[in-house]
Amino acid sequence: MKQNTEADVRTDTAVKITALFFIAIIFLAFTTDPIKTGTKEGERAPPLEGMMYNGSGWTEFKMDNYIADNWTVGDANAEWLVIEFMDTDCGFCFDDADEFGEIADYFMKISRESDGTPAWNGPTVNFIASATQLDLPNHETSRTEIISFRDKNGDEECANGRPCQSRGGDAHNFIYLDDIDQDNMKEWKVPGTPSYFIVQPDGIVAWVHSEHPQEKVSDGLFRLFDEQGLMPNE
Amino acid sequence: MNEDLILLLYIVPMLIGTLLMTSAGTSLGTALSSRYPGLIHRRRRHMLGLNIVTLVGFAISVHTLWITNKISEGGSVCSSATVFSCDDVLGNASYNVDPIFGVSWGLIGMFAFGTLLFLANTVAKEPDARWAERYMKFGFYLTAGGLLVIGLLVSYEIEMEKICQYCTTAHVANVVAMFGFWQAGKMHENGEWKDEESSA
Repeated sequence: MKQNTEADVRTDTAVKITALFFIAIIFLAFTTDPIKTGTKEGERAPPLEGMMYNGSGWTEFKMDNYIADNWTVGDANAEWLVIEFMDTDCGFCFDDADEFGEIADYFMKISRESDGTPAWNGPTVNFIASATQLDLPNHETSRTEIISFRDKNGDEECANGRPCQSRGGDAHNFIYLDDIDQDNMKEWKVPGTPSYFIVQPDGIVAWVHSEHPQEKVSDGLFRLFDEQGLMPNE
Repeated sequence: MNEDLILLLYIVPMLIGTLLMTSAGTSLGTALSSRYPGLIHRRRRHMLGLNIVTLVGFAISVHTLWITNKISEGGSVCSSATVFSCDDVLGNASYNVDPIFGVSWGLIGMFAFGTLLFLANTVAKEPDARWAERYMKFGFYLTAGGLLVIGLLVSYEIEMEKICQYCTTAHVANVVAMFGFWQAGKMHENGEWKDEESSA
């Protein structure tokens, strides 16, 4: 009977190294519980960075600074995030700005009751608009236009040639990110504007508008807070 | 435990492995030959060093993948405000996976060093086999190909202005292994492969 003794060494070594590999994989499986980075619900939100305008000037923004890694479900003290991807030249964003601004003021606790207390007593929600420039004809934005859209001032023209300051609602109180180069939009794989995301305090995507087209942002927030027992007592 | 101290657990064996593959390893082999007679022979010392380096490369790849997973959970493993911050590098979702298949670099390192370990181990066990020389060439080409990947990863680090110490140690292990496979091939060509040959 012919025997290839050389193959024995290789088979023996291959078995040992494969075993070592699987031991390593088992170790990783038992000691870690990785969460995929992405923009689907349950995934860890990708980075969101850039220069932000908060009403007074442009400064650096990093979403990481808003994330509380040790947050646990039910903790009402940590702050949530709502992220809107928009384009100042997008008609839907233009029309939606009024209602979005009202929702933002409510959940950011800027809206007050007649006695001066915040209208919303649940967890604070920070709103962020990431202003991009879509690759479409007549979509040419700039930082000046973003400021004009947010603050409702200036002579800039936004969607369909309408003056930015003519959009509905008051000046917005939340921050606007300069994403004219589409870096954040690509990172978040946003197909179009407006797109909305709700991010938990620990950085996990909790709600994506495209997965709940029948729900508005405010409905999504109320439902999530209700599910997590974060609704304030009436 | 400080992650930089843990890193020493990889660096020290890698240095010993590297030492065994160089002429400086002769005195180390001679000193240890009373306890490990095989180390008096250059080829045995060299292959032992190569096995140690590839094993360290494998282990550090596992550790890198572990850190990547921990960061994805929301943890902080080796975050630092200095330029040496593997959390910033391994936690960057844009760069911590390969651009084609989206596989974590740590897992790719495990496959690469697992293969190198197989090549080094089989050659060490059967140095006179017909395939031994071919396997050493495979090892050299694989590690040389790894230089392209290292170049890509270093470019990411330059872009982020952060250095991942663990990744860098794995890159060094690849370079040392490349030298080890190349040197082993040279020894084979120059007739320094047999145990009876000069141990110097």
